[in-house]
Amino acid sequence: MLGDLLKKAFSSNKKSNPFHEKSNKEEIQIKEQKIHSDLEYSMTIFKEIYSFPDNKDVKFRTFQIGGLKKQACLISISTITDIKLLDEYAIQPLLRNDNPSFSIENVLAVQALSTVEYNKDAIYEINKGNAVLFIEGYTKAYSITAANFQGRDVSNADNEIVLKGPKEAFTEKAASNISLIRKRIRDENLIVESAVISKRTKNELFIVYIKDLANKQLLDNIKKRVSSLNVDSVQNLALLEQHIEERKLSLFPSILYTERPDRASAFIEDGYIVLLMDNSPDSLVLPATFWSFFHISEDHYLRYIYGNFTRGLRMIAIFITLFSSSIYVGITNYHTEMIPPDLLLAISATREKVPFPAIIEVILMEFAFGLIREGGLRVPTPIGPTIGIVGALILGQAAVQANIVSPIVVIVVALAGVCSFLVSDISMNFAIRIIRFFFILSAGFFGFYGMTAVFTAGLFYIVSIKSFGVPYLSPMTPKYTSSKDTVFRRLLKNEIFRPGYVKPKDMKKT
Amino acid sequence: MEDSKGKIGIKEFIAIIILTIGTKLTDDTTVILYKQMENAAWMSPFVICAFSILPIFLLIKVMNIYENKNLADVINQLFGRFFGFFTVMILWFLLFSALTIDSAVYTDIISTMYFEKTPVIMIYGLLMLVSAFGAKKGIEHIGSVAWSVIFWIKLSLLAALILTFMQGEILFLFPIFGNGAWEVVKESSLRTSLNAEFLYLGLIFPYLKNKKDYKKGTWIALAIITTELSFSLAAFIMLFDHKGIQLMDFPFHETIRYIEIGFLENIETFFFPFWLIASFIRFAFYLYLTAILFGSLFSIRNFEHLLPIIATLVVFLGIIPENPTFTIFKLRESLLFITTPIFIILPFLLWAAAKLKGEFKNEKAKASD
Repeated sequence: MLGDLLKKAFSSNKKSNPFHEKSNKEEIQIKEQKIHSDLEYSMTIFKEIYSFPDNKDVKFRTFQIGGLKKQACLISISTITDIKLLDEYAIQPLLRNDNPSFSIENVLAVQALSTVEYNKDAIYEINKGNAVLFIEGYTKAYSITAANFQGRDVSNADNEIVLKGPKEAFTEKAASNISLIRKRIRDENLIVESAVISKRTKNELFIVYIKDLANKQLLDNIKKRVSSLNVDSVQNLALLEQHIEERKLSLFPSILYTERPDRASAFIEDGYIVLLMDNSPDSLVLPATFWSFFHISEDHYLRYIYGNFTRGLRMIAIFITLFSSSIYVGITNYHTEMIPPDLLLAISATREKVPFPAIIEVILMEFAFGLIREGGLRVPTPIGPTIGIVGALILGQAAVQANIVSPIVVIVVALAGVCSFLVSDISMNFAIRIIRFFFILSAGFFGFYGMTAVFTAGLFYIVSIKSFGVPYLSPMTPKYTSSKDTVFRRLLKNEIFRPGYVKPKDMKKT
Repeated sequence: MEDSKGKIGIKEFIAIIILTIGTKLTDDTTVILYKQMENAAWMSPFVICAFSILPIFLLIKVMNIYENKNLADVINQLFGRFFGFFTVMILWFLLFSALTIDSAVYTDIISTMYFEKTPVIMIYGLLMLVSAFGAKKGIEHIGSVAWSVIFWIKLSLLAALILTFMQGEILFLFPIFGNGAWEVVKESSLRTSLNAEFLYLGLIFPYLKNKKDYKKGTWIALAIITTELSFSLAAFIMLFDHKGIQLMDFPFHETIRYIEIGFLENIETFFFPFWLIASFIRFAFYLYLTAILFGSLFSIRNFEHLLPIIATLVVFLGIIPENPTFTIFKLRESLLFITTPIFIILPFLLWAAAKLKGEFKNEKAKASD
């Protein structure tokens, strides 16, 4: 299993293509052509391209334009287009018009109208949900913006829950996500650039930043990396994240993934760059440092003392998660003298009947906890409580009574498990949970010596990694001018600097 | 996005110095001081500091002439290629010996005080593995790690010292001059090479963000190291008295075994990890310096690739002594005695050479331009 994993991690797809594929050269050639003035001909082409009438939701509405006395055809995909809008503001005005000298632009009462000249552009517009109007004798077509994709409305954040502060979260519609950001930053310098990042599906990516804040080099770097993708389809940001990150095999995430528009806006206002996409109820923030994974938005919404109190708790929780199990292994195997004798006797009394060495015991319990956690996540809601009962009773109570594990191990592992939930970012959460196993193993081999060795090596690693050129532990080390928002935050009136490591064009916030 | 160019700021610089030289108070260096000076040993750091001020001052003066040259380049420039090569060779040899001997001592500490049953080669191997990994990351990251942990390491040391002072007996410090004031000065001066690392700091001079930091950082670090060493020496004496302490090999580790907080009677394992982190960083830095020196001796540009080899060599040389507690102690003392004159004289020679060659005038001319 492990060998397979390693093979998968280090192999690449650079071998020559062994597949026999059918060439679609002809179709590509047709798509590259300009729009033909012969409406009949154009329609034949488009009907073939869209496999009409097999393709049920592609509609070809042919009619005669009043006044002009010309045949016209409106192509749209009915499931992603606003039919009512098309009918009322495009088809009806054209049909009822009786003025022979008029321009199409003035009759169509729609919000946005553009012209296309090539077949492929027309196809792109249709696929985007717009309707394209072809007219007899015209070598161009009109694209009417009428996209209407189905999706859910803005709802509460599910993963990054706060008690105080806004509750909205991003949804799968990029347009409404951008609207949520614009609602917070009413600035003409807020730029929403778009780029097509995949070849076949033509997924659109939105790059959001403030023009006079975001560092140009960083922006160019991101644009370059995004445009150099060579893939057929990138469905959402979670996949894009893996395409553009620098260290794909690193344990630590280097791009922040947040579903909260308030958080994304706060980052944009600090000079960071945010990526949005359709089908992603979230945003990517880059560059990211260790601290951005450690913080949550509520730290700043709560009053100074309360916010820092939760920060302190969270930092302690990270250490408990990382070290509690391994400290138990280390102490019971190597450093028994450090526990007060009474406690030592109590521990050894409970361990008396347990047949396994401490490290096996701990790994067993950690594994069980991991299973419960993963199982609880995937279980359908109606049978959810079962997991709780099975987990608590069978794996906790019964395992102790059956002398498989000692009660103190249950406490230690459960404590670590509970504490791991304080890190709300899912990537960092995984990183910490995986690192915990390294510490347990090292404690099994070398006690505290091994743990410290792993810790020091890990520290060397974590200071050396970078996210888009930004050191992971900055601004703590190496030092940059910033509001010093690291483990603890400062009073709002003292947070006057944007983070220097992002190299914003304007450093002072006041 | 401009990448930081592998340079360190003053905070990281001071943190590195404190961790490399300051950690000496936890090994058998203290015993070397106690041996002759007994309960007046706590004064010797000040004497040593006084003796090292002039060499360090001259060194800083010479180093500041050149912008982007490290110590080895400066030596080569001032002494010519032939003598320069020999001087750098001697420096490298001393550093390599210090690295081997010190790492053997630290391995000995870990294996005698904490892990009696673990094979020595495993302990040694892990120590060097982690240090080599750290060194391979480069000076910038050694500095970053040093800075991010120094607060906690010093906090743990402070806690240990406070507990020691609380449980110690102040009268053990008297008679105040121990074997006599002259004895203190004489014996301390022979061991001035305790601060010899300051000489080697010239090697990382080009890696400093701001050249003024070199001067400032060095003096601040020297002051901190001297005070903390002195306080620790006093604390150990107050706990064990001058007779008891001479029977020990590693007073710091005996101390943290001896002290207790409330219901916790054995708290050495609380201090052990902090001390270990400091040691890892210390050897990472030593390894890095050794590699730089070796690189400049034989003009190897990518000296980082030497690190695994040097680390392996150190492990195999370091485990040779059969009875490390005594053999290494003797070796270490001799090394200190040998290094002292070099540490004191070399900066003088450098300064004199620079003066004779008129390098200072060039600098002034440059400054006035």
